[in-house]
Amino acid sequence: MDFLLDLVDADMLRTTLVVATPLLLAALGELLLERVGLLNLAIEGMVGVGAAMGFCVVFVAGRTVPTVLLAIAAAALSAILIGVVFGWLTLHLQANQITVGLALLILGLGASSLLYRGVVGVTTTPPSIGTLPLWRIPGLSEIPYLGRVLFQHDLFVYVGLSTLLPVWWVLHRTPLGLRLRAVGESPKAVDALGLPLARLRWSALVAGCALIGIAGSFFPLSLVGGYSDDIASGRGWLALMLVIFGRWRPWTIAAGALLFAYVEALQFQFGVTSKAIPPQFLRMLPYVLAIIVLVRVYGRAQAPAALTKPYDRESRF
Amino acid sequence: MAEPARAGDVAVEMAGIAKSFGDVHALDDVTFRVAPGEVHGLLGENGAGKTTLMNVLTGLYLADRGDVALHGQHVDLRTPSDAVGHGVGMVHQHFELVQAFSALENILLGAVTATWSMDTASHRERIADLADHYGFTVDLDTRVADMEVGDQQKVEILRILYAGADILVLDEPTTHLTPAEVDHLFASVRELAAEGLAVVLIAHKLHEVFAVCDRVTVLRHGRLAGSLDVAAAAHADVVAMMMGDDATMVEARAKTCDIGEDEVLSLRGVTATGGAVDVHLHDLDLQVHRGEFVGIAGVAGNGQRELMELLAGLRPITTGRMHASGVDVTHARVDERIRAGVAVLPGDRMREGVLPASPLYETYALGRHLLHDHFSPHDLQDQARDMIARFDVRTSGPTAPTASLSGGNIQKVLVARALDVSEHAGGGAMVVMNPTSGLDVGAAAFVHDQLVRTCEAGGGVLLISEDLDELLALCDRVVVLSHGRLAGQQVAGDYDRLVLGDLMVAAHG
Repeated sequence: MDFLLDLVDADMLRTTLVVATPLLLAALGELLLERVGLLNLAIEGMVGVGAAMGFCVVFVAGRTVPTVLLAIAAAALSAILIGVVFGWLTLHLQANQITVGLALLILGLGASSLLYRGVVGVTTTPPSIGTLPLWRIPGLSEIPYLGRVLFQHDLFVYVGLSTLLPVWWVLHRTPLGLRLRAVGESPKAVDALGLPLARLRWSALVAGCALIGIAGSFFPLSLVGGYSDDIASGRGWLALMLVIFGRWRPWTIAAGALLFAYVEALQFQFGVTSKAIPPQFLRMLPYVLAIIVLVRVYGRAQAPAALTKPYDRESRF
Repeated sequence: MAEPARAGDVAVEMAGIAKSFGDVHALDDVTFRVAPGEVHGLLGENGAGKTTLMNVLTGLYLADRGDVALHGQHVDLRTPSDAVGHGVGMVHQHFELVQAFSALENILLGAVTATWSMDTASHRERIADLADHYGFTVDLDTRVADMEVGDQQKVEILRILYAGADILVLDEPTTHLTPAEVDHLFASVRELAAEGLAVVLIAHKLHEVFAVCDRVTVLRHGRLAGSLDVAAAAHADVVAMMMGDDATMVEARAKTCDIGEDEVLSLRGVTATGGAVDVHLHDLDLQVHRGEFVGIAGVAGNGQRELMELLAGLRPITTGRMHASGVDVTHARVDERIRAGVAVLPGDRMREGVLPASPLYETYALGRHLLHDHFSPHDLQDQARDMIARFDVRTSGPTAPTASLSGGNIQKVLVARALDVSEHAGGGAMVVMNPTSGLDVGAAAFVHDQLVRTCEAGGGVLLISEDLDELLALCDRVVVLSHGRLAGQQVAGDYDRLVLGDLMVAAHG
């Protein structure tokens, strides 16, 4: 019975929400891109650059409210910068999205490592910037169990998780979202209606990359308090997979992010309480789940019809 | 919505419209007028310029010369959104709908101009009212991809009406509809006209024009052949306009060979009823002899495409036998038929004939590669270089991407390829569909000359064409295909356009 209680342990569910935050942010960012037909394989690199940028700004400027905000903005901008290169090559020059994405992935991973070494140098003990303080919501955080799960987080988690609402609302409740989704399905139809195709794509690209960069800054600022080259450890890829898992819909993506975060939290929990299961196996769990999900879901999933396809109005074939 | 028709008002006035693509005169001095409240049929064979004329009206093409006035005002239509802004909407043959969207989302996409908010509920109500009023009832929440073609068309029309169009162009709207759906559509079209909209119906089929139109304009080879009030016109008048009374458009070299005894291609009692197609083929008996040039005439959509695919080996034969140069190829694969000398010049050359992004020499090698045991890229390039010189193909060389060539030059390459297949079999059967559509006069003459040459070299040609002038100028006999059956034939010397025209349209309806 103890085992079953462990599955709903308040601390573990609290950890679930923390771990879900960057997954959700990055996945929503990727969703915006894919909904306008852009498959961004550089996402892991963007997350890495966001993490390094977020760490370095606070490391240099100290941890105050304005510098943390500055760090988040810088993380968003650095990811946008990569996104602009991606957009220029794939939208303007009609280069292959897979090739460009993979090239920028490697660039992003290298750049984040370089940035950190340039600012911090090589040290034996990695410096710490500390994590954001928890903000216990008065009243609500006193509720037994629920208060502990939901209302004892830092601001990053609250804001990060609520990003779901505006993204969902814009995509599925506004004319702008209708147009954005149409771009990913049929750029030709959008162009024929005289709608500003390029502007729609670029705005989704910039907004999406910003979310991905911010997701990266979550790791040093909120989760770890330090930086290492493997800080994101494949969470960018997981986010990419979550978009497929969520069938390109914000709410199902959020459900997927929570499920994966739960599995990850579970491994922390059992890593502490159980010696029976080897820790390597526990660390493997989210990725095993990812493979199972992809095999089960991907075949039936409906990707945006124009995903990765370059659009040329005058194309003859 | 549409304003009530004013007396003497002209919704569309196009005057002296000319449009060329390279050397091809798609439109030459065409005048076209539509009054509000009028359903106006636009008739003509493929390539006559119907769609081009409407593309000028909807802002897709910029006319080289001529004026467009809408409701008496001169307009400058440079983009589709200009035309939409002036109330012109066109329903294309291939609907420009977002397949993954619901009907409602598709309609809103074109109609809502705000960025952040839309009152979906009130839009939905107004769209449903509009749909009920004109009889375009569809489930607004169904994904377009899950809809029947007829319903998709309703969505497309609703979208255009809801965006405020008062001039509606329908490009061959009945192509994929069942007879019941056609009746329904025509009733709705009459209703639209009764409310003062101007409706242009691009049509292929004569009986449809007589069923629904007030006036009809006929185009022939990019020129205005005439314009008539349907009520006062007889079928024969319109057929005469469509067929023309001159054979001067196509000049062909007379064949210098006799028709032989051997059959290079023969169908006996062939029926093909498999697959989801518009037209099933029934009881086809057709022989092409050595040195013979046989034409298949008919209104588009009567089984031409299916016949072409059947001969090429893309469509299974249900019953009956097919022979090529004496070899039974009834159930032979495409490659086996090519080896038996069945050379095919497809009707849609960009989609079915070429590898658009691949180098020219690879397009030229397709199919021919089956005739030799081995080949090297080097050989293929040499062969392509030789072909380019022989047929005067305008290209930068054998490695140029195929799609970089003009339509006429691509067709030369495809003709050369088919000739090789036919010659390899010592004079095989050449099956050709609409070989000169979209070509300029020079390229068309070249293609015709090569077909005549094929006959003279001991092969046989089966020409499936919608261009009656072409058929009559070239063929030893013309067989009419109607509703998937061979309806009758005429032999060179006894050609009568009106009789052929009657055969083509007789079984309709």
